[in-house]
Amino acid sequence: MKYKSLIGATAMLFALTASSVLAETVGPGGESATKSSTVIVSDELAKSVSSKGYTAALLWHDQSEFVNAVSLGATDEFARMGIKIVATTSAGFDAAKQRSDIENAMIKSPNIILSLPLDPDTSAAAFAEARDAGVSLVFLSNLPSNYKHPTDYAAIVTDDLFQMGKQAADALANSMGGKGTVGWIFHDASYYVTNQRDNAFKTTIENDYPNMSIVAEQGISDPARAEEIANAMLIKNPDLGGIYVTWAGPAEGVLAALRSNGNKTTKIVTLDLSEPIALDMVSGGNVVALIADEAYELGRAMAAAAVLKLEGKDVPPFVVAPAVTVTADNISEGWMKSLHAEAPKSLMGK
Amino acid sequence: MNSFQKISQALNLKSNIVYLGFLVIFSFFVIMLYDDGFLSTRNLSNIILQTAPSTIMAIGLVFALSAGEIDLSFGSIVAVSALTTAVVMQDYPIFIAVTAGMMSGLAIGALNGTLVAYLKLPSFLVTLATMGLFAGVARAMTNLRSIPAIDPSFTGIFGSGKLFGVPSLIIWTFVAVVVGHIVYRESKFGAHVIATGDNARAAQVSGIRVNRIRLYVLSLSGACAGLAGILYTGRIQAAKYTLGEADLMTVIAAVIVGGTALNGGKGSIIGALAGSLLMGMLNNGLILMQYSVSQQMMVRGLIILIAVAISLRDTSR
Repeated sequence: MKYKSLIGATAMLFALTASSVLAETVGPGGESATKSSTVIVSDELAKSVSSKGYTAALLWHDQSEFVNAVSLGATDEFARMGIKIVATTSAGFDAAKQRSDIENAMIKSPNIILSLPLDPDTSAAAFAEARDAGVSLVFLSNLPSNYKHPTDYAAIVTDDLFQMGKQAADALANSMGGKGTVGWIFHDASYYVTNQRDNAFKTTIENDYPNMSIVAEQGISDPARAEEIANAMLIKNPDLGGIYVTWAGPAEGVLAALRSNGNKTTKIVTLDLSEPIALDMVSGGNVVALIADEAYELGRAMAAAAVLKLEGKDVPPFVVAPAVTVTADNISEGWMKSLHAEAPKSLMGK
Repeated sequence: MNSFQKISQALNLKSNIVYLGFLVIFSFFVIMLYDDGFLSTRNLSNIILQTAPSTIMAIGLVFALSAGEIDLSFGSIVAVSALTTAVVMQDYPIFIAVTAGMMSGLAIGALNGTLVAYLKLPSFLVTLATMGLFAGVARAMTNLRSIPAIDPSFTGIFGSGKLFGVPSLIIWTFVAVVVGHIVYRESKFGAHVIATGDNARAAQVSGIRVNRIRLYVLSLSGACAGLAGILYTGRIQAAKYTLGEADLMTVIAAVIVGGTALNGGKGSIIGALAGSLLMGMLNNGLILMQYSVSQQMMVRGLIILIAVAISLRDTSR
């Protein structure tokens, strides 16, 4: 989750249309999104690339299960093309360290850099050396200020944020039979990713489900306060049919509040994979769905876009990987699709 | 006396650990990364450039620790100074912006010093509190936004520029180390700092105004952090509330490995420089060795642990 919050702090350039009809995630210059499944390096091209000795550096913003999955997707795709990874770093959300990491990696003269720029302003200078050296740059979810496509970078690859929020709304509506009252716990901060997902949920409920209404809205900035926020919401609205929680961390607090109230009827939907939340879901508890991004696919698409740029092919400027709705029925497939990993043992066989 | 202590005393390990460690690790990377550009001028220059802000923070911390105090707030001061400089620069000339950045660091340091020296509060607790306080201030200053600082004169002087072919950050480091070393070793103030940290009561009896020394060292630490914030801003051409956040442990480790005593009365500016470069060299070399991020963290932690353990081990016992 943390990687996503930083993006918002930078007043990300992407825009999102709010209408349910036209709603979609669009790029910084208004570019329409291209599905990641169309960004492909053919076997024939992969074979020809493998003899060219390309190298790549993975310069991440932090370490997490999500980053591991993105790295794995990129590493597998690079391996298919015989591309060696010469440096892997984590900036720990430190803009100065990200700059140092890029300088250190450039000593190895990589042909490709995959990275999540921590901030448009701080990363503009940081990536300048790599950009000027002709490195094929592919960015995850964020773009340095004033970088132009296709001269400065190959592509931006990101989640389909609107779809994540929309699928959360659809999953909750489905579990509630398309009617009832909803509590909306949104991220109370100027964070691009969470803001877009939260608003997409709200827009979908308001526009697509006339028999459902959001009767309680509460922002949250500290996940540790989720339980008390949920308790207050339930006191005011004891018949709440469902609650949307902005991400899985605070959803644990909301779940705790429902349990302590003996509430087994209010449904919860949240975003990102979490073992404790998923355990409640597979045990038939309050949680009805988790909406996740396809992190492995993000990494694969980043690697493919970088190679296509090196090979002089056209690369779409703005690529989105799909969201996946994970329910009790597809827990194993969902975990594999999102993180390319087996679901935790505690979730299996329930 | 066991065999480790005998070897340690023979090599005077405790005093020279940072230089020996630097030499050993440098040699190791030279051997392992000879073909990977480790010894290239560009890479060695990168290491010094990358460590310039933390070296300057370390200089301030040497003074504070030598006087028997500690400053945990310098990371937050870096962020406040950086943001102050960048925000002021949007409407005023560079000179005013840089002065404002430096003054913000000095003022927070002076606040720490006043609370410690005259309200008799422990510096650990005071600076722990102001660390949180000013981390919050940094976040509130621009509502989490980063502020660009792309004036070519500013970035030239404080970031990417060169003078006679020498990068400006190397010049800042050199000047800070030379001035810091002379003040620490050759001036009456430096002697009073060490005397205060060695035995405050004895220092007071001998006429040293120890409270004033405490105020000065914490103010100096704040000013050094302020300068570090300005250098970070010049280097990345923007200021952000996260700047300096990650430096606390690295700088403390660099200073301790460099031979400064945690309980006061002893320190070394040159040692702090070597400690800071050692940390930068570790970051650089482990990346070039293609270690995974987890491996880099483990190896770096182990090496720092060994170095700190040796430098803190009292062989006289």
